[in-house]
Amino acid sequence: MGMKIGLFVPCYIDAFYPGVGIATLELLERLGQDVTYPTEQTCCGQPMTNAGCVSDSAAAEALFVKLFSGFDAIVMPSGSCTHHVRSHFDAIEQTDAVRHVRANTYELVEFLHDVLKVRDFPWAEFPHTVGLHNSCSSLRALRTASMSELGEPAFSKPMTLLSGVKGIRFATPARPDECCGFGGTFSVTEEAVSARMGLDKVRDHFHAGAEYIVSADSSCMMHQQGCAERNRVDIRFIHIAEILNGARQ
Amino acid sequence: MSARDSILATLRRNSPPPADHPLPEPAVLGEADASPERFSASLLQMGGTMLDRQQGATLDQAIALRFPKPGLMIRSLVPEATGTVRIADLPTPQAAEPVDVTIVRAAFGIAETGSIFLSEAQLHLNAIAHLTQHMVVLLDPAQITANMHTAYLRPEFHTARYGVLMSGPSATADIQGVLIRGAQGVRSLTVCFAPE
Amino acid sequence: MKEKPVNHAAAAVAFIADKPHLDFHDARLWDMRQKRDAQMHLLPEWQDLRSRASAIKEHALANLADYLEEFERNAKSNGIHVHWAADGADHNRIVGEILEARGAKTLIKSKSMVTEECDLRPYLAARGVTVTETDLGERIQQLDDQLPSHIVVPSVHKLTSDVARIFARSYGTDPNADDPHQLAEAQRLAARPVILHADAGMTGGNFFVAETGTFVVCTNEGNADLSATVPGVHIATIGIERVVPRMADLGVFIRLLSRSALGSPITQYTSHFRGPQDGSEMHVVLVDNGRSARLGMADFWTSLKCIRCGACMNTCPVYRRSGGLSYGAVYSGPIGAIIDPTFNERKYSTLPYASTMNGSCTNVCPVKINIHEQLYKWRQVLVEHHQMPFVKREIMHMAGKLMGQPKLYRAAINGTETALSTLPRFALYNWLNPWGKNRELPAPVKETFHSWYRRNRPTAGRATPETVKTETKA
Ligand code: SF4
Repeated sequence: MGMKIGLFVPCYIDAFYPGVGIATLELLERLGQDVTYPTEQTCCGQPMTNAGCVSDSAAAEALFVKLFSGFDAIVMPSGSCTHHVRSHFDAIEQTDAVRHVRANTYELVEFLHDVLKVRDFPWAEFPHTVGLHNSCSSLRALRTASMSELGEPAFSKPMTLLSGVKGIRFATPARPDECCGFGGTFSVTEEAVSARMGLDKVRDHFHAGAEYIVSADSSCMMHQQGCAERNRVDIRFIHIAEILNGARQ
Repeated sequence: MSARDSILATLRRNSPPPADHPLPEPAVLGEADASPERFSASLLQMGGTMLDRQQGATLDQAIALRFPKPGLMIRSLVPEATGTVRIADLPTPQAAEPVDVTIVRAAFGIAETGSIFLSEAQLHLNAIAHLTQHMVVLLDPAQITANMHTAYLRPEFHTARYGVLMSGPSATADIQGVLIRGAQGVRSLTVCFAPE
Repeated sequence: MKEKPVNHAAAAVAFIADKPHLDFHDARLWDMRQKRDAQMHLLPEWQDLRSRASAIKEHALANLADYLEEFERNAKSNGIHVHWAADGADHNRIVGEILEARGAKTLIKSKSMVTEECDLRPYLAARGVTVTETDLGERIQQLDDQLPSHIVVPSVHKLTSDVARIFARSYGTDPNADDPHQLAEAQRLAARPVILHADAGMTGGNFFVAETGTFVVCTNEGNADLSATVPGVHIATIGIERVVPRMADLGVFIRLLSRSALGSPITQYTSHFRGPQDGSEMHVVLVDNGRSARLGMADFWTSLKCIRCGACMNTCPVYRRSGGLSYGAVYSGPIGAIIDPTFNERKYSTLPYASTMNGSCTNVCPVKINIHEQLYKWRQVLVEHHQMPFVKREIMHMAGKLMGQPKLYRAAINGTETALSTLPRFALYNWLNPWGKNRELPAPVKETFHSWYRRNRPTAGRATPETVKTETKA
């Protein structure tokens, strides 16, 4: 029997990309885990804290802890929410429950790679060329892949997982680590720079031959897809959970 | 209170705890190769040149081949070469400005970066190193030190009042990123290995 | 204090609209980042160097008063005049007095960010002193009456055609010149006579060494050494944070500086000044201008470790696409965004938000300043100090409340009821509107994950597990 897992589905996935939530749930169940999605969940508190409004995150953080502290592990298909819970859950008093939640929250790729140590996804096949986009939270905060600025030995947890999928090919963009410009509220307060970064990002993948951009973070992809569509860059988007769960397109 | 005293007082008041921030021992890191080959390769990378010296040719002859234009004003600060003007005739920067080529001996060189060290001991008039159009530098291969860490252990840094590490000629890339060798200081820097 | 905050976002719109400039700016700075990476890969000890540089700087800052006194003692005994400036006005007055005492009417200057901070040029101009910047990029900016847009390459936002236009106006060269060599030569020829006949010379300083009383200037063009050695008076303006304890420490910093900045192993000139040449004068002006106060800011004092290499700017995707001038400050890019608010909190309150906090800056910083974490911290400080625009603050407040109430939240997501009715709708929509300017919105979906889950896992998830009861202080 697997662990008792609490599934957190960030608001934008709930509202705009339900398929990502479904794929995450089904994938974890397929891997023998006992997964529950507490239906009263709202948000991890990140948007307020990142804007500097720490006290405004308190209600969201408290609710999160109330809903999730009873699980062995909390898994979410989002690097930035994971980073928030793990590193910035500071608006509320640090009780045992809070500490438990902070220590046992995982982004999906980390959880598959480090905790469950899955390497093969025999049910999955994706005969396409994909460009991998690591969100800055996944890359530089959660460290799910090596960072080009440090010159460290190359590794990539999402790439390792995807390599267990039949038929998949990888495109190599020229600036693989460059931020795509989503940045939460940055995407509206600095609309011009944000959209320009997004466009440059999708073009980089497109020119590298990617048919799909795949990422563990839907927020980056929501932004990138918006830029691609507006500028008619012919590229599609898919969350890593969907590929690993056997999506065919 | 003077500005000095009030700055110092504020710093003392605001300082993070010194005990939390110990000073690391000085370190000598990096590649220890101090060979002339490494020096030359680094110098070339910085845009400098090595002087081609045919067997048996004098330094003056080699320099004449390097700078073939007739009538150049060449000033030598070393006994190995004669040049065309006397040092005594160039006592000020204004008088020294027209010099085309200056020949000088470096105190030492750095293999890591192809740098040569000059100070008032070699230059007499510091400005000459920057006003001259071209510079020829004699360097004793025995005076090549491996890298920046070993270089800073040299005594010259404690004695020279002006000490410049020149690494190739002056350069700029301030106009649309185009690298231009020969910006405002020397247009070329040529090193000649010459044991002292 | 009632100054308007810098509108970085609006300036960025204009910058982005000019495609040739934008494309060059982004490509050029990215190329510098790539060259930096190449140098890093050549040195297996790179991370060790960074750690040491950081530790030496933190030590020097934690003992700054002592090291400044040590430097002063040694510099004085070598014949250097040491001056102390509490702020920019102090600095300018000191420089003005040195020049006046010698009847100096012309000053040649190499690049110094501290003199930009102090706004020296207008001060001296008003006193009849002609100041000529001798660094090519800085000279271009002076002639164009703009701040430097980058701390290492001041005119990096300009194309050759811009320089040709500026030089044509000031030097009478061909306005259609398109060869950078030709333009650089024009600068050399124009600068030489000015340098030769200047009454005094001025430089900045990248480092100074307590142990020996030396200061160090790292440059490429040769103009700084000309400015320092040709006139009989050399004034060096240096921020008090630039001290290192020992001569032997310099190796670490010199190895990192130009590699991080331009991707070259060393600057063409690394010049060490330990005393005046015979018959000349040498002055060092140690400038505080807010630094001693910054040392007392627990979350921000490590920004004083900065060696002004510009690597954080080169790697910053926002800086590359908005240009240094859009920050409206002497210091731009990531390092600017964390130090500018210490000069004027209101005016620069927008800059910590001109970032996605992606963290690339922190990774390239040779002295390991946690830049993106300081951006994050600054946002909190600015909110606490009421420097966030009202609408945004209200939205965050409302959103925070909503997120604590599952029923209202669910209603809002489902759109069945407007839970946001307490918030003026126009404010919210105006605020979110920019999304659609250059981007499509996500396509609507038939069903949220939440309702899919309730249909497909009907028995699960209603109650939380019983094991832990949580107290919260929300
Ligand atoms: S903050 Fe770091 S990377 Fe940026 S200029 Fe300063 S030293 Fe360089």
